Amino acid sequence: MWRATFKSLVAKKLRLVLTAISVVLGVGFVAGTYVLTDTMNAAFEQLFAQTSEASDVVVRSVSAFDAQVEGPGGGGGGDERTPVPEQVLADVLSVPGVATAVGDVQGYAQMVDPATDEVIGGVGPPTIGTNWTDLAGDILSLRGDSVPPASADEVVIDAATARNANLAVGDRIRILFQGPPGEFTIVGVAGFGDADNLGGATLAVFDTATAQEVLGKRGVFDAISVVGDEGVPASELRASVDAALPDGVEAVTSTSVADEASQALQEGLGFFRTALLVFAFVALFVGSFIIFNTFSIIVAQRTRELALLRALGASKRQVIVSVVLEALVVGLLASLLGILAGIGIAVGLQGLLGAFNIDLPSTSIQLLPRTIIVALIVGVVVTVVASILPARRAGSVAPIQALREASDGPVAGDLAGRRLVIAVVVTALGAAALLYGLFGAESDGASIVGLGAAVTFIGVAMLSPLAARPVAGGLGAPLKRLSVQARLGRENAMRSPRRTASTAAALMIGLGLVSMVAILAASLKASFDAALTETLKADYTLSTSSFTSFSPEVGRRVAALPEVETTSAFRQNGFRVDGSTSFLTAVDPGTVEDVATLEVSEGSVAALDERADVVLVHRDVAADNGWTLGDEVPAEFASLGDRPLTIVGIYDENRLVGDYVISLGAYDEYYTEQLDSFVLVTGAEGVPLAEVSESISAAASEFPNVQVQDQAAFREQQAGFVDQLLGLVTALLAMAIVIALFGIVNTLGLSIYERTRELGLLRAVGMSRVQVKRMIRWESIIIAVFGAVLGIVIGILFGWALQQALRSEGVSEFVVPVGQLVAYLVFAGLAGVLAAIWPAKRAAKLNVLEAISYE
Amino acid sequence: MASTMPAPPTEAAARAANLKKVYGEGDAAVEALRGVSLEFGRGGFTAIMGPSGSGKSTLLHCLAGLDSPTEGNVWIGDTDLTTLSERQLTALRRDKVGFVFQAFNLVPTLTAAENITLPLDIAGTEVDRVWFDQVVDTIGLRDRLRHRPSELSGGQQQRVAGARALVSRPEIVFADEPTGNLDSRSGAELLGFLREAVSTHGQTIVIVTHDAGAASYADRVVFLADGHVVDEMRDPTADLVLDRLKSLES
Ligand SMILES: Nc1ncnc2c1ncn2[C@@H]1O[C@H](COP(=O)(O)OP(=O)(O)OP(=O)(O)O)[C@@H](O)[C@H]1O
Ligand SMILES: [Mg+2]
Repeated sequence: MWRATFKSLVAKKLRLVLTAISVVLGVGFVAGTYVLTDTMNAAFEQLFAQTSEASDVVVRSVSAFDAQVEGPGGGGGGDERTPVPEQVLADVLSVPGVATAVGDVQGYAQMVDPATDEVIGGVGPPTIGTNWTDLAGDILSLRGDSVPPASADEVVIDAATARNANLAVGDRIRILFQGPPGEFTIVGVAGFGDADNLGGATLAVFDTATAQEVLGKRGVFDAISVVGDEGVPASELRASVDAALPDGVEAVTSTSVADEASQALQEGLGFFRTALLVFAFVALFVGSFIIFNTFSIIVAQRTRELALLRALGASKRQVIVSVVLEALVVGLLASLLGILAGIGIAVGLQGLLGAFNIDLPSTSIQLLPRTIIVALIVGVVVTVVASILPARRAGSVAPIQALREASDGPVAGDLAGRRLVIAVVVTALGAAALLYGLFGAESDGASIVGLGAAVTFIGVAMLSPLAARPVAGGLGAPLKRLSVQARLGRENAMRSPRRTASTAAALMIGLGLVSMVAILAASLKASFDAALTETLKADYTLSTSSFTSFSPEVGRRVAALPEVETTSAFRQNGFRVDGSTSFLTAVDPGTVEDVATLEVSEGSVAALDERADVVLVHRDVAADNGWTLGDEVPAEFASLGDRPLTIVGIYDENRLVGDYVISLGAYDEYYTEQLDSFVLVTGAEGVPLAEVSESISAAASEFPNVQVQDQAAFREQQAGFVDQLLGLVTALLAMAIVIALFGIVNTLGLSIYERTRELGLLRAVGMSRVQVKRMIRWESIIIAVFGAVLGIVIGILFGWALQQALRSEGVSEFVVPVGQLVAYLVFAGLAGVLAAIWPAKRAAKLNVLEAISYE
Repeated sequence: MASTMPAPPTEAAARAANLKKVYGEGDAAVEALRGVSLEFGRGGFTAIMGPSGSGKSTLLHCLAGLDSPTEGNVWIGDTDLTTLSERQLTALRRDKVGFVFQAFNLVPTLTAAENITLPLDIAGTEVDRVWFDQVVDTIGLRDRLRHRPSELSGGQQQRVAGARALVSRPEIVFADEPTGNLDSRSGAELLGFLREAVSTHGQTIVIVTHDAGAASYADRVVFLADGHVVDEMRDPTADLVLDRLKSLES
């Protein structure tokens, strides 16, 4: 029995490879995700460790919690803590056991490429400005003839920026800050060991006094790095430094700072990993359909052989075991290959990050035992589970079937009714779980939705054979008149509805998700449009292309223009309510209602002006928490800790400002970094809009990161973001679609093998090779388009459910992007052509004589 | 009707000259044909007989352009098959040759009617309705035209295959043991149908058979043994053929 399994495996090497590919790709995706995130993690850990070696103890102000939210738009980055007064440095230096101590400052500093006048970086990784200290040399390595910055006019920049913008020592460069921008001479280029930058962050280093000035840290330090005398343990040093510190300032060891940093990183990477794993599991899920289908076909084709084995005395169990065993071997081999593929994928992705100028400190690729174990388990389990039904079918082959003509398999028609019931029940359960996850679940909504979607897909896949004949027939109906090979292609696609259906089902999953995402994107865009028209009263918006924050100087300059009536700035940041992270928007209470609609229904915006500890709350949030006017919101800020805010107003329109609104004055009190998220501007009465926009642009010209846009341009830009995201998600789902195409290749290959005789006959009576290829191409196209139609229908339903669930989040419109879905359908047809290439070639190459005498 | 007039059986519809076929190489080489020269006159019905392994199928395949001889030449009409490319051979099989195999003659997804017109559909040529009707009436399956092969008996399937071979008016029809899987009645029906195509429509037909009774439908029997033509018989009867076969086998 074992030998029979082994022989069947070896005999069908090609089939094995094709079946395995679907698992290899899925497992590769999973393994690649782990390898990539582990490698990134190791790289940063190494870096944090290196950084912490420069000092023994760090002095900083106490923070209520670590700000999880990056400084909006990656301004300065790092924790949001109030700075430490300069005098503390003197206190620290006088502590016995302290060898040296230096004050560090950090803040937003974005360089402008002198050649193109465009800002450098700022999309994602932060643009950091900091100061050169006596300890800096331990972290930063100056390259070539660089010297440290020594005057108010000098700067050292990171090597990646120097390389990309073609900058060298002696060049002048303009740098944007929170306050007015400045011009500097580059005196040095620095790297981090071998790496040219750190995870994509740009770096501008000034002398300490200059850094304090330009980064808005006059008279203060963000932190103080302390080095102890030889032989003083860090913990002892920490204790003695801590004792000398004023209230609200703490001393911590550098290693614990590194630990905090790596823990924050772990969380960030964890999110990234989970997101990638979701796509990896979609790919695996699709792969399991291919496995199931392949094994079903193989079992059907081997009915006679299996029956013979049974007739010769093999037990039912032995037959089942032999099939499962084959799956086990396939799963194991494919998982091993998948791990290799995963390493390749990780290396490729890392290269891709490098291409986007995100350098990671060099470490070797991390293949942890956990990655290998997870990949093996996932690959083997998926393969084996997918083979169980076909294996059971194999077990039910009766010995008598050895004597009969090969048929389509041993499943009798009377099961059809029961199968239908099961299929309907499965689909209904899946849909119910999906809806419950979207609308009902209190927690774990996302996982329930995912599970519901998967079960729905399985249910529809079980139902789809019913649709396969009529749909394939209907799709192919126009082909009937086209040519005999088109007609034959159609007939072949309709011939085995279950096979066609499960092959198409694999494609259905990918296309269903892609369509759903497209619908969501279109709905988002439409909702955003609606929100803009309904909430925005301003003529112009000032913002950056990547939605990073920018210097309030821009708004100040624009406000001073005579062509401008109102200028109103908005700042956004994170805080905590009842322990969970929320976002707030700070507005100018005097002008906000001139530029935007809040629909304040209770209290007033003006009430924000009176005190700092007051807040406006959106109606739904107030309702959810049972808050009314005068109640307190239990707010907590990173720098200050608990700061309950009294509700002085309730508003209905949250699409522009979110759920909590405070005043800019209060914002100044709660946050260190003062950057605008966007500024809304209306032109002065009687001034032509063209003139207004021209003068605004002129006023903002020193800040190339800031864009001046009217509503239409702003809208277009937002649409651009959504499209970008759509592109990314679609690209990540592409793997699932590729796997599904391999499924079509596999099914066609097996079908052709089955139809050898028939192909021989067609060739004998004069069908040319080209015609044979066309026939198979048509079959492939019909299967692919069938899968696409199913997928798009499901995608529309899912998209609708999702939009309904996100209504309260502002996705108010439901839009089906018809053109795009039609494009997907056409794409599916073309993909069908692609999938047919190899099977068609094989079919065309058949030796006619061998084919007609083939048993 | 002009199309049904028998053509004078003078000119050859197919010809083989010094045909040799060797399978394999070296020690494993099998000489299936060792120099066969034959002519098949237009409008003639020839049966090829001989012991198993004597090279009958090989000869038929070479004549029909399904296989290429190791040596020698084959003509269908005026065309020398050995000079044709694969593509030209395919077109020739489609337009000039009809074929009936022992089994698996029909495409299971097509109806009987579609199977009959398959070569014409492949060629993209218009079906001559009058001729189609005539052929269909001759096989007597008009009421079965819309059925798929799985709904037809073996004998009916073979007759549909026969109709398919005739409908494109090929130069010549080859049939390899067409009655091999049929009972004697179905076999007789098929042979009667082929005989009629020869007699009334002047079709040229070559069949391979093991059955002396089947051979008696032919005008001529060619005996093959060990890859050689060993004898020929005009206007055979079943008894004469049987006698001759016995002497060949001994
Ligand atoms: N593809 C092949 N490879 C090797 N040898 C072959 C091949 N086809 C036929 N032969 C050999 O050639 C010889 C003639 O075979 P062929 O099939 O022509 O015989 P046949 O007269 O049709 O026999 P039967 O009456 O059994 O059908 C036989 O010895 C056979 O084994
Ligand atoms: Mg033979």
